[in-house]
Parts: sequence; C-alpha cells; structure tokens
Amino acid sequence: MAGRIYLGELEELMLLMVALIGANAYGVSITQELEAQTGRVITISAAHAALHRLEEKGFVKSSMGGASTERGGRRKRLFQLTAYGRQALQELRNVRNAIWAQLPGI
Amino acid sequence: MEIYPTPPKWAETLIARLAPDHLAEEIKGDLYEMFLYDAKRLKASSARRRYSWRVIGFLAKAFFWKRPTYQIHHMTGSYFKMAKRSLLANKGTTAINVLGLVIGIASALAIISIVRFELSFDTFHTGYKNIYRMVRVSGDDLSEFRTGIPYAIPPAMKDISSIRKMTKLEYLGGTNVDILSADGKFERTFVEEGGVVTVEPEFFDVFDFADSPIKWISGDPKTSLSEPSSLVITSAIAKKYFGEANPIGQTLRFHKAFDFKITGVIEDFPSNTDFPFRLLVSYSSMPLIFKERMSDWVSVNDGHSIYVVLQDGVKVKDVEDQMAKLHAANVGKDLSTYRHYLLQPLSEVHFDPSFGTFSKRTITHNTIFALELIALCLLVVGCINYVNLSTAQSTLRSKEIGMRKIMGSSQKNLVIQVLAETLIIVLIAAMAALALVALSMPSLTSMLGLQVKINFFDPFLWITLSTIIATMTICAGLYPAMLISRFNPITAIKNQFNTGRIVGVSLRKFLVVIQFTATQVLAVATFIVVAQMEFFKNVDMGFDRNAVVVSIRLLNSDPSLLNSFETELRRLPFVENVAKSFTLPSGVDRNRSSRNIGKPDANDVQDYQNYEYSAVDEHFLDLYGIKLIAGRNLTPADSSRNILVNETLMKNLGYNHPPDIVGAELKIGGGEMVHVVGVINDYYGNSLKERVDNIALDASIDRFRQVSVRLDLASGQRMADALTKLERQWKLIYPEHAFQFRFMDDNIAMFYEQELKYSRLFQIFSAMFVLIGCLGLYGLITFIANKKGKEIAVRKTLGASVGNIIMMFSREYVALIAVSFALAVPIARYGVNEWLTNFKNHVEVQWWLFAVPGVMVLALALAVVSMKSFNAAMANPVDKLRTE
Repeated sequence: MAGRIYLGELEELMLLMVALIGANAYGVSITQELEAQTGRVITISAAHAALHRLEEKGFVKSSMGGASTERGGRRKRLFQLTAYGRQALQELRNVRNAIWAQLPGI
Repeated sequence: MEIYPTPPKWAETLIARLAPDHLAEEIKGDLYEMFLYDAKRLKASSARRRYSWRVIGFLAKAFFWKRPTYQIHHMTGSYFKMAKRSLLANKGTTAINVLGLVIGIASALAIISIVRFELSFDTFHTGYKNIYRMVRVSGDDLSEFRTGIPYAIPPAMKDISSIRKMTKLEYLGGTNVDILSADGKFERTFVEEGGVVTVEPEFFDVFDFADSPIKWISGDPKTSLSEPSSLVITSAIAKKYFGEANPIGQTLRFHKAFDFKITGVIEDFPSNTDFPFRLLVSYSSMPLIFKERMSDWVSVNDGHSIYVVLQDGVKVKDVEDQMAKLHAANVGKDLSTYRHYLLQPLSEVHFDPSFGTFSKRTITHNTIFALELIALCLLVVGCINYVNLSTAQSTLRSKEIGMRKIMGSSQKNLVIQVLAETLIIVLIAAMAALALVALSMPSLTSMLGLQVKINFFDPFLWITLSTIIATMTICAGLYPAMLISRFNPITAIKNQFNTGRIVGVSLRKFLVVIQFTATQVLAVATFIVVAQMEFFKNVDMGFDRNAVVVSIRLLNSDPSLLNSFETELRRLPFVENVAKSFTLPSGVDRNRSSRNIGKPDANDVQDYQNYEYSAVDEHFLDLYGIKLIAGRNLTPADSSRNILVNETLMKNLGYNHPPDIVGAELKIGGGEMVHVVGVINDYYGNSLKERVDNIALDASIDRFRQVSVRLDLASGQRMADALTKLERQWKLIYPEHAFQFRFMDDNIAMFYEQELKYSRLFQIFSAMFVLIGCLGLYGLITFIANKKGKEIAVRKTLGASVGNIIMMFSREYVALIAVSFALAVPIARYGVNEWLTNFKNHVEVQWWLFAVPGVMVLALALAVVSMKSFNAAMANPVDKLRTE
C-alpha cells in the first residue's frame, strides 16, 4: 500500500459520484446524483467545498466547459477522476473487502 | 419564451463582489442553475429565499475566502529582484542617487527636529494660548520694546476682572552665590551666569508644565515660596553646591548682600522653556532688595515681568484699554502718552526678538520658514537628481522595457517595477540618513546651542520618515515610471526615442535649472550672511576693539581696595593700562542705567533726552581708544557734577559744534544740574543691530563696577599665565570674591551669537545644495559621455581637439547655470534685503556679493563637467569605434 489515504466519508461519496457521472460531473449534477443514490441532501456550497478539497488532495482534476442558457451563459467546472483518485477508491475498497472477508458472517 | 423570475439582486451582487475570481463563474452558474430548477417547481419567493440561503452557505465556507496568493507573491518578489539587479547593474548611478537622497533626507530630518524643538517652547502649559506677557512699548515712534513693568502697576491691576490669574516675577539674571556655614561664615563661592529669579507661588499655577509637571523633591509650591528670604533651587544646583548633602535649611548669600534660606528643591526645568530658572527666590523678598522702589509707577527694571491668564472670551484690546486707563490715572500725561502697556500672547514670546526672552533665545517665524523652505528644497533637489538620472538612464533600458512589453508586461507592471526601484533607493537612503542624523545631531546641536535629540522611540520621527519616503518615492519615481512604461515597444527595441519634452526645452534641462537656481539662491544668501558677520566683526565701533582687554567684574566698589588692586595690576609687566568704570563701552550683559537730560529750561518729557550714564576714571578713554573731540578728559577731582557727552547726545540736545557744548550747564531729570567738560566720539554701546545711544560719562568713584585691563603680551608669553597672575592679585585683595572676567572681543562677539549660529547652519546647508547639485551633474555627464562615446571618437578622428570636446560638453551647462543664476539673483536679493533690514548697520548690497558666489558655483560645476568630459575626450577613439 502506497502510503495512507486520507479521505473523509463525504469526500469518498463525492469521489464515487464523480466516477459514476463521468463526463458531466459538476457541482449541481453531483449533488443531485448523491441525493438520488443515497438520499442524502447536501447544500451546493458544501459540495463545492468538498470538491475543492478533493482537487487540492489530487483525487480529481477539473476543467471549465459546457456553458448553457439555464446557467445564465456561465460555464461549469467539470470534475474528472485522476489516476490517483481511481487508485484511492480501489484501495479503500480492497481494504474494506479484506476486512469484510475476515468477519465471521454477519 | 418563458419569463423566469430573477434571483435576489443583493445576493447576486454579494457573490459577484466577494467570490474569488477563479471560482466566481462556476459558483454563479451553479447557483443560477439551481435557482431555475427551484423556480420551475416552487413559488418565486421561496426560490429566491433558497437562493439567498445558498449564497450565505458559500459565505460560511472557508474555501470561499481563500485567495490564491501565490500569484501576487510571485510578482512582488520579482519586482524587487528585478529592481535589485538593475540597481546593481548601474552602481555608479545608484550611488549618486542614494547619496543625493541621503543628504536631502538627513538635512530635512535635522531641520524638522530643530524646528519642532523651537515650536515646542512653552506650549505644554495648560491653556497656554490664554497666557499673556505684559510688555512695554514706548517712544514717540514706538520703537522701544521692553518687558519691564514698574513695581506699582501689578498690585493695582488686581481690580481688572477679566484677568483670571496673574503672576509677577523678576529675572535677576546672574549673581554671585556664597555658601555660608551654619554660623553664618563664608565657605565657598559660585558664579551663576543666569537663572536667578524671584517668583510668586502662583508661578507654578500659571506655568504648570502640564506635560511633565516639575516635581517637588522637597518643599511644596504653596509654602516654600511664600515667606520672604526663602529660596527654591533645582536639583542640578543642589548637586553642584552641596553634592549629596541635604540643602534644605542652608543659607546662600547673593551678591555679598542678600541672604536666602533654602526651603525647597525641584526638578530641573525642561530645555524647551523660555523660563530657564535654577534659583527661585520668593517674590515676597522683593521689598528687601528694592525697598521704596516697590511703590514706583515710573522707573523700571527690565527683568520685572508680569504674566496674566485672561478669562475665556475676553478681548485682549479691552484689557489693554483698562490697563492704559489705570496707567494714565497714576502717572503724568506725558508719560502715559509716551509709554504703552500691551499684552503679548505667550505663544508669540519665543518668536519675537524685539522683546527677547529669559533663555536669550528667540527665533522668528521668518527664520523657521526659511529653514523649512531649505529642507523642502533639499528634498526636491534630491528628487530632481533622481528624476534626471533615471530618465537619462531609461534610454539604456529601452531594450529591456521593449522586451518586457513584448513578453506581455502591462503598463501597470512596468510602473510598479520602476516605483519598486525608487522605493528601494529611497529606503536605503532614508536608513542611511537616519543614521547620519543620529550621528551628526550632537555636534549640530552643540554648535547651535540647542538641546535637540533624535529619539528613535518617538513615533513622530517614524511618521515623518515614512511620509518623506512615501512622498519622495512618488515624486521621484512616478515621472520616470510613467515615461518608461509608455515606451512604444517597437521604437524602444530599435532604441529610437526621446525623453520627455516641456515646451521645447528638454525636461532635464528644466530640472537642472531649478536645481541650480535653488543652489545659487542659497549660495548668494549664505555669502551675504557671512559678509554681514564679517562686517560685524571688523567694523569700526568707535573704540579700539582689537586690543586685548580683559574686563573683571567687581562686587564691591570700595575705593581703597580698588585703588590697591589697580596699583598691584600696574606693577605686572604685561599690563599696559588699567581703567575703572561703571560699565564697559560695549558687549552683552552690560550694566546699564539711563536717565533723562535736557537743557536748563526743560520741563516736559519731550524736552528731555533719555541717555545712558556711566562712570569712568581718567584712563578709560585712553585704554579704549575713544577720542576726545572737544574739551578735556575727566580727572579724579571731577565728581558726578562734571560730565562728558557723546556726539549723538550733543546733537540731540541741539548743539551742532562740539566746542559749543563744552562748558554748558544741563539739567538732569530729577532737577540736578551738571556741567559738560568734554565731547567724545560716538561708539556703539549696543550691537550694530541697533543705533548709537545717547551716552554721558561722569567720574563718580563709588559707582565703579568693572576693571578693564589692557594687556600687552610680549612674544612667548602665554595668555593663560597672564590670567593666572591677574587672578592671583585679585585673590590677594578680594579673597572672598570669585574672579569673573571676559575678553572684550568675546563679549562683543556674543551680540551676534544667534546670527552666527544660523549663519553656520546656512553655510552647512548651502554646501549640501552644491554637493547634491554637483553629484547630479556628475551623474548626468557620466551618462552622456558614455552615450556619446562614438560621437566623440568620430569627432576626434576628424580632427577635434580635447579642448573642443570639453567645450562641446560644457557649453550647455554653462548656459543652464547662467540661466539659473539670472533667476536666482532677484530671489536672493529679495530675501537678503528682508534679512538685512533687521540690522541698523549692514553691508551695502553690491553686485560682487552676488557675482562671487555665482562664479564659485559655476566654477565648481564646470570643474565637475570638464573633469568627466576630459576623461571622455582623452579616450582612444579606436576603443569606441572598434565594436560596431
């Protein structure tokens, strides 16, 4: 394992959403997807803050794009998983699976 | 098309204003998108409410407030790095710039500290704006300014209701202080040159030194100064007289006559007060000293001063009118029209030389203004150097600037770049200047006799310094910055452009003219001030001032002691002559008494002449080289009935020919008759700033207070030895008296102390001007010589001589300096005339007084220019032409 991965619970969910949505992952779509998948409602500002942290930590990268009239002509910041982010998700999953495997069936 | 509601304006503005640039777009976009989504499902109002909440949500997030600072840091660092490189690349210019600014800033700081000290005099008393000094202006032409008030006046003024407080004091100046032992025997003696005063307890009520009240080490203001014959001394005096012993209860004898008991010790007075008191006698002792004069409405001692505090809102004129009424009711009509009592605000006391102060220091507002102007000009001249050199240098940097512009540097970036360079230079200069001032201030202040210190913890100093730094950075840097940043990159790269032009004249020439105008104004002014000082030093005062004369002050006029002292002195081989007199012919701190004299039929005040009367012996005229014009000299047989008069008094009494007055009977103010036996030539008893007074001399032996000794030192004999011998004789005759002596020339020079001090200051600062000016010229010429290297080389190969080339360089600057001289003359002339009107006797303002300093500055500038251009002209043309 290459170092430990610091990823909060919300951050992990956000990261999964980015991976899930793929090409059109940005603030609003991620919030909506999160609500649809988990029933969890977060404010848009909390979403932005989490996405920022993820970008700072290098799990996602972003680019501007996709202006539309429903945004008043403003562009979106589109997020994309980095290789490191993908690896982090994978590792977290492996760790969990390994632990689950050791549990005497629940 | 659907019409959508709009989000709340304030929330939109809030986000637009506060969001960091790189996030604004996505945040606004997301918010709007969610708003539209809400707007389709919900009521417009709740959509708007949700929008607002989301905005507030962003405001609560830390990431929203984080600014990507790395970009700005990066540029700031780069500005300073670039500035450092470019300054180091041109070390010579940088050094000249820094030096010019150091001189400017250091001088400005020094002047500001001095001016601030002068302006602080006695401003620390509570309500000092409401304190007034009573002054006396008299004469038909109101030309006599004095502060002495007759003793009877202040008690009568108690009834003037507009006066809230009043305090009387008499400044006695210096005295002889004997310390007496417990049984009243003489122990030791001290001579005080000044600081002796009689004050009332109320003094500390009117002058409360509120900033740092004077502490009472023992005693207290109410009781210590109330009883007659009590004395309060400052801690410095206590230490000097008694060391660590307790001074309370000790008795001091002043002037061999008056005993005072020490009842209090106070802290020393601050240095910025015009009340430099050290021995404070209770005012209630005054009747002991002045006896029946205490009820006199007419005769005055100049030291007797009155200070009043007026009720709020009272008009000064009204109080003066009441005083005039009071005066008129108690003296004759003649005197009340001749003499006027006025009130002068305390805030004017330090700035009005006509009345003088106890600290013997005044400074006119004009002098302060002149000093401030000099400080400002020195700063401006330093800035001009900077502007000149950096605009000249910008031609060299055109490629750099062009490159920067092509690489995408904005005009703003370039302005900041140049300003950063200026800021660095100014900062270095300011720190160096601060160090320079801190080092040189002690010698400067001791030269000026001031007690100004540079206090590094004084916030004022740092505020001043930062203001100077900021202003100079803007003034010196902004124009070059604008100029450089405006370069067209294409022409800049091709190195073809001119520096700024002002109506056809190059800006640099214009600035050089301003610089040298300021320099020449000060050079001319200084030269004339020095000429005036020389005039004071050398002018014929009507008596022989070059002789070595020592004057000794007597405390005792007992004729037999005095005669034996004279006999002993005459025995000394180096004593040429000895004369006894009431006072000296001239000099500071002279005893002076005046009376009125008129023709026998005189009745009114107008018929009388006020004159100074002194007593002399038969050797006096001879010793001082005063000429007898008519009649005979006084002899020991003459009493006070026979007098000598000077020419001025003779003319004022209406006699035109000296022989006419010899033998005349005259009436003295009191009615006594005197007989004129001779006429002497006029001599200046006062400084040459004033006119010759009426003087009459008689031979009253009991009034002798001074012994003048004319020395004739053989070669090899030391002055110190002669003085020691004089003192030994003195101690034999007067064992209990301190030997107080002065040299005649010192005594006269002290008249002009203040002028001399400021003339030295002027000399220093005009040297600074010339230095900055020459530095600037040197920088310019160096630059031009470098730039014109090829031109010079081509000229030389075509046959130009070194002389031709120096001429080519100098011509322009001679012309510029000539222009500035022409501008400087009228300005200097105006200033100098203003200053010279302060003196009754002054040098003629002649053309050569302007020409000499003008030529000197020109010669100096020319020397700088030719030195550098000579180097350029001597260079081998091959070196310059080889590389093309």
